[in-house]
Amino acid sequence: MAASNPGKDAQKRIYILAVVFALWALLICGRLVQLQVFDYGKLEQHAQRQQQRTIEVAPRRGLIFDRSGHELAMSIAVDSIFAVPSEIPDPNTAATLLAHILKLDPAEVRARFRASRTFCWVARKVDADASDRVRALNLRGVYFQKESKRFYPKRELAAQVLGYVGMDDEGLSGIEREFDDELRGQPGRMLISVDARKRWFGRVERQPEPGENVVLTVDQAIQYIAERELDNAIRENSAAAGTVIVENPHTGEILALANRPTFNPNLSKKIRPEELNNRAISDIYEPGSTFKLVTLSAAIDQHLTNPNELVDCQMGSIVVAGRRIHDWHPFGVMKVADVLAHSSDVGTIKIGLRLGDDRLYQYIRGYGFGSQTGIDLPGETRGMAKAVNRWSKISIGAISIGQEIGVSPIQLASMVSTIANDGVWTTPHIVAGTLEPRSTPQTVVFHPGDQHRVIARLTAAEMKQMMEGVVLRGTGRKALLEGYTTAGKTGTAQKVDPVTHTYSHTKYVTSFAGFAPVNNPAVVVVVILDSPITHGHEGGIVAAPLFQKVAQQVLEYMHVPHDLDIPKERQLLLASKSATEKDVAEGTPDRLGAPLDVAGAEQAALIQPSRPMPPSEPRDSGVEPVAAVTAEPLAMRSRPESKPAEAPVRVPSSGTVVLDVEQGGIVVPSFFGKPLRAAIEAAQNSGIELDAIGNGVAREQSPAAGSHVAAGARVEVRFEQ
Amino acid sequence: MARNVSYRDFDWLLFAFVLLICALGVVEIYSATYHTKFAGVHVKQMYWMATGIVAMFLVSVVDYQLLLENVHWMYLVSIASLLSVLVFGQKYLGARRWIKFPGGQHFQPSEWVKLILILAIAKYFADIRQRELSFFDLIKAGLLVGVPMLMVLAQPDLGTALTYMPIAVMGIYLGGLRAKHATIILLAAAMAMPAAWHVLKPYQRDRLTSFMQPEADRQGSGYQVIQSKIAVGAGGIWGRGFAKGTQTHGMFLPVPQTDFIFAAFAEEHGFVGAMGVLLLYFMVLMRLIQNAQTAPDRAGTFVVMGVVAVLTFHILINIGMVVGFMPVTGIPLPLMSYGGSSVLFTFLALGIVMNIRMRRFVN
Repeated sequence: MAASNPGKDAQKRIYILAVVFALWALLICGRLVQLQVFDYGKLEQHAQRQQQRTIEVAPRRGLIFDRSGHELAMSIAVDSIFAVPSEIPDPNTAATLLAHILKLDPAEVRARFRASRTFCWVARKVDADASDRVRALNLRGVYFQKESKRFYPKRELAAQVLGYVGMDDEGLSGIEREFDDELRGQPGRMLISVDARKRWFGRVERQPEPGENVVLTVDQAIQYIAERELDNAIRENSAAAGTVIVENPHTGEILALANRPTFNPNLSKKIRPEELNNRAISDIYEPGSTFKLVTLSAAIDQHLTNPNELVDCQMGSIVVAGRRIHDWHPFGVMKVADVLAHSSDVGTIKIGLRLGDDRLYQYIRGYGFGSQTGIDLPGETRGMAKAVNRWSKISIGAISIGQEIGVSPIQLASMVSTIANDGVWTTPHIVAGTLEPRSTPQTVVFHPGDQHRVIARLTAAEMKQMMEGVVLRGTGRKALLEGYTTAGKTGTAQKVDPVTHTYSHTKYVTSFAGFAPVNNPAVVVVVILDSPITHGHEGGIVAAPLFQKVAQQVLEYMHVPHDLDIPKERQLLLASKSATEKDVAEGTPDRLGAPLDVAGAEQAALIQPSRPMPPSEPRDSGVEPVAAVTAEPLAMRSRPESKPAEAPVRVPSSGTVVLDVEQGGIVVPSFFGKPLRAAIEAAQNSGIELDAIGNGVAREQSPAAGSHVAAGARVEVRFEQ
Repeated sequence: MARNVSYRDFDWLLFAFVLLICALGVVEIYSATYHTKFAGVHVKQMYWMATGIVAMFLVSVVDYQLLLENVHWMYLVSIASLLSVLVFGQKYLGARRWIKFPGGQHFQPSEWVKLILILAIAKYFADIRQRELSFFDLIKAGLLVGVPMLMVLAQPDLGTALTYMPIAVMGIYLGGLRAKHATIILLAAAMAMPAAWHVLKPYQRDRLTSFMQPEADRQGSGYQVIQSKIAVGAGGIWGRGFAKGTQTHGMFLPVPQTDFIFAAFAEEHGFVGAMGVLLLYFMVLMRLIQNAQTAPDRAGTFVVMGVVAVLTFHILINIGMVVGFMPVTGIPLPLMSYGGSSVLFTFLALGIVMNIRMRRFVN
């Protein structure tokens, strides 16, 4: 047979070979098991890692609008530069060139090139100039990716409210942080594949979805007014810091929220922590006299007193639990209304003692002190309102006048808003709502947040009248507005020295919280200045003028109908005021004593009655022309029953009233013989209120003609047929 | 003689295994290239196979005894063609391996030389009738293979040159290599190693070092080994699926349609697929060995075993390289890798095996 030919030896050797092959095959099998079964996960990951790199494509961050749709924060497309190091022929030269243009450290760029074969950022969100220069280099392996960069077109405006974002567009403070989830959007995914030929190609896996837009309740014009006046006030008073809050008391909408010092969110690298601090919601301070509103409203609400009750203020001191508390000024017996108006500590403490610890605490909590108001901003403080069981014997005396308690400006604003809103506390809100990222017009419906009644409607009404008294005849006279009834309360609190933990004698926090018009308040304005120096520290001197300036301009801007008529002379005065804004920095001249130089300006204006002055003409001074604004048709339409304010050129037609600059106040005109309508017009021209009794022509009046009265004073006129 | 030859004795089972492997190869070539500039080469591969199969049947008809009798002429022609490559050859990628015919066809003689060498060695050892080989016999056999081998090395084409070695080794082994001689040869080879190192081109040295320490230069010459291992491992048990091999498609895997086709296949068809292919190759080799054992004469056995030696060497080296056991040498996987010369050689070699098998009952 054939088998005999190769021989037995060869046969054996063939068998040995077959066995060797089989062993080899087994070895390969083992290796396949090792690679494909045991090392599968590791190698699979390795494959994915080297083949793909998923880059998140940042979505366009949502915009932040003010209430009328102005962009306060937007995102613009800028270039980011990245490199595929394996494609760069000469990494050292490339690194040096890039580092030179982009002002980076060449060694760091080189290190980044070494760190990855397939992808590394060179510089992110570079400005157009630098990116153009890099593009001009035309370097191999260097690419550009559009990324969105946050841009705040109004710079410092509402900086603490808006906050700022980090390099990856993550919100780091303010609305940017609180609404980060809404603003952020869904990042897209770009799958970057790198093949072994070192070719780089990207493919968008998922389109990024832009974030929602956030609409604030803030009005940029009101915010601007608040910030400008705050800046001025801080400069004039050499204050360390300050806050202004403008709120709609009925809905809790924050119309402006300004803080100083502030920052430019476009330059996020230069922000210092103290600038970032949104004092309006995160600072705690002792409110001082503004807190008397809580004590008195609580007592009135509990029917423990009424505005006309007489209280003995004991000529300046009271002993509470063995400790004597001194009033800031010795007062005798006066009405409760005047206790508030003149901010008597003793009078307030006496009423506070009637309330007792529990009831006072109940109202303190009712007004929202000691808990967050719930405003939609991050970092809100609860304040410090210690529980009633931790009160000492003297606490009731201290807390009644706003000591031993810590509040935030927003809490104060909410409390004043409660009074302005007929006793109903409303959650303050700064975000009206969010909008889907669509280009079609949308409306945001703002729903007021939680509301609860703190004091009865009647109590609120009485408090409003009392607070008006503060402005008309008390400590807040510098807050008096033109054309609007004004209510408010001053506050001055000593700061607690952080070193000694005792009250500082040099550092004060002065505040003014008020609203206007009194009967149907359109805005609550709270202003707080920290450590003012130049003009003293009294709230009535330092804070009230700031309130006046902010509130006046805001009300005019909002076209809130005047509830007081401004006499034509006053309009002229206001018109001239706009030209002499710097001169009247000490305080707006009001009906109670305009400075001589302003009166002189008035004279000058009176002498040139034909000077053309169209109402809507913009003034180059940049300050809002109050008279011009009042003369706008919208204001006229909205209150047709009141005599519309007219252009100053027609002022001198009725010359019955002049300002008595010597004595201050308003001279009551004679109404004798005038029919009702003429009398009302005359009263309005003079800036006084007319209480008309009867019908026909005026026969009697009280006070008599020629006497001096405060602005807005009521004159009783009896008419007979 | 011819009247007893019948295609009933043709090894249809072996042929079936071979066709199966070829089919898998074509599918994988398609998968690895359809999106590249090589798209369509699987069709070319099928043409090559068809040509190869025709050639196989033609070769199986001519009596192998006739071939053996004239092998010395063929050997001389081989030497001449290798010489002509060295002189007139087309330079491509730094090596002269191809002769370009006027018709535009490229021809790589070193592949055919393999076939001649199988026959020459078989003839040489079949003629030696003594039980043990003398040292002189070994020298002569070594020269028989060594001369063309050196000429191929000069092209330079280390991979192909290496494939000549198993032919000589198989002949010597089956011819009755004495343990004493084996020891001497191994010692000589060991001593020649350092000298050989200097002869090697830098890229060849790189391949060897990168085989020893693939991690030393991940981006350089170790790259292919690492990528191949990743591809095999990423296949897992069931594989990524047809045309879904990311290593292959991402072009991480070097030359996935030729040298690394087994890695591409293992990535797409996983452990199960790779084992299947391995089993098919094992069946083919066992079937060939069986044919060697049933060969009608000593020369026949030597010829078949020569074919087994070359195919086994290819398979071992190629798969060993893919799984990281062997250095990267540029040796294709027979029947699967894309390439006309390789396909033609394999089918011609199989044709000779069939030739011998069909004549096993003759005499």
